[in-house]
Amino acid sequence: MSSDVVMFYTYALVAVAGALGLVLASRLIHAVMSLFATLFAIAALYLLLGSEFLAAMQLFVYGGAITVLVLFVLILTRPAPEGADRTRKGTMWTAGGVCALFFGVLAITLGRADFRVAAGQSHDAASLASILFSRYVLPFEIAGLVLTIALIGAIVLAREDDVLDTPSDLPEGARVPGTMTLGEAAAAAATYVKEEAAEGLAPDAAPSPGSVPAEAGGAE
Amino acid sequence: MITLNHYLILAAMLFCIGLFGVLTSKSALRVVICVELVLNAVNINLAAFSVYVAPREAVGVNFVIFLMVVAAAEVGLALALLITLNRTSDISAIDRITRMKG
Repeated sequence: MSSDVVMFYTYALVAVAGALGLVLASRLIHAVMSLFATLFAIAALYLLLGSEFLAAMQLFVYGGAITVLVLFVLILTRPAPEGADRTRKGTMWTAGGVCALFFGVLAITLGRADFRVAAGQSHDAASLASILFSRYVLPFEIAGLVLTIALIGAIVLAREDDVLDTPSDLPEGARVPGTMTLGEAAAAAATYVKEEAAEGLAPDAAPSPGSVPAEAGGAE
Repeated sequence: MITLNHYLILAAMLFCIGLFGVLTSKSALRVVICVELVLNAVNINLAAFSVYVAPREAVGVNFVIFLMVVAAAEVGLALALLITLNRTSDISAIDRITRMKG
């Protein structure tokens, strides 16, 4: 057996074992760790395929970013009660049967399929980039746009609702004590500049009326 | 000798395991990461086809990169939704989330 075969079966075994652990683990933190093992093994398979850029991206995006994101959500959310994230036994058997049947059909078909495999040197990161930045440059830009929109959407979805909202349930004309509107603030700042800042830093200088709102307690 | 069929069968296996996870788990977080597993299986297929069938042009590998972008966006949005659901309600099982039923 050549080393390629040994490496392929090792990584494939790790990937499948990690995937099974992800599906069957009873605690979610174990499932996430299994997912990490699977993603790592898939990155190794990309290396075996000869596309080292893809392996690096797999480690960065999946192994790094997505795993850490899932871990953060696991930390931030309440844990489900033990054993509550499983469907009924009958559903599990049915789903397992359907998936096994589907895999059987796929494996038989793929095992007998004969693809027209072309011989040739495998591509490297330079040829990847030459296509990505010439033929696929428009999809590349749109992908950046998609990521930006997804980022904005995630922030809008996940932020606390009352952090940035103005208190809109107050009646018209009502004032929150100690605050002023933007126009009043500008007027107060202008008064301060005209009347007080010109007087220098006299230690006993009393603020002139109109520069500090009365509700804030400055002009008592 | 490792052929294209080896990679395709491995990807089919990962796909079916991920599908099983999506079908059987009620925790929304586990559903999201099982969908990630399914997407990874598709990525393996694309990369293997690209390397074995058209080795001179890295078209399939480019598709894998775009799929990674879409997967990252999808995970970000799904997890933001999950955090919002967790904050606004006590529901942890996805079959009881019926607020958006119209």
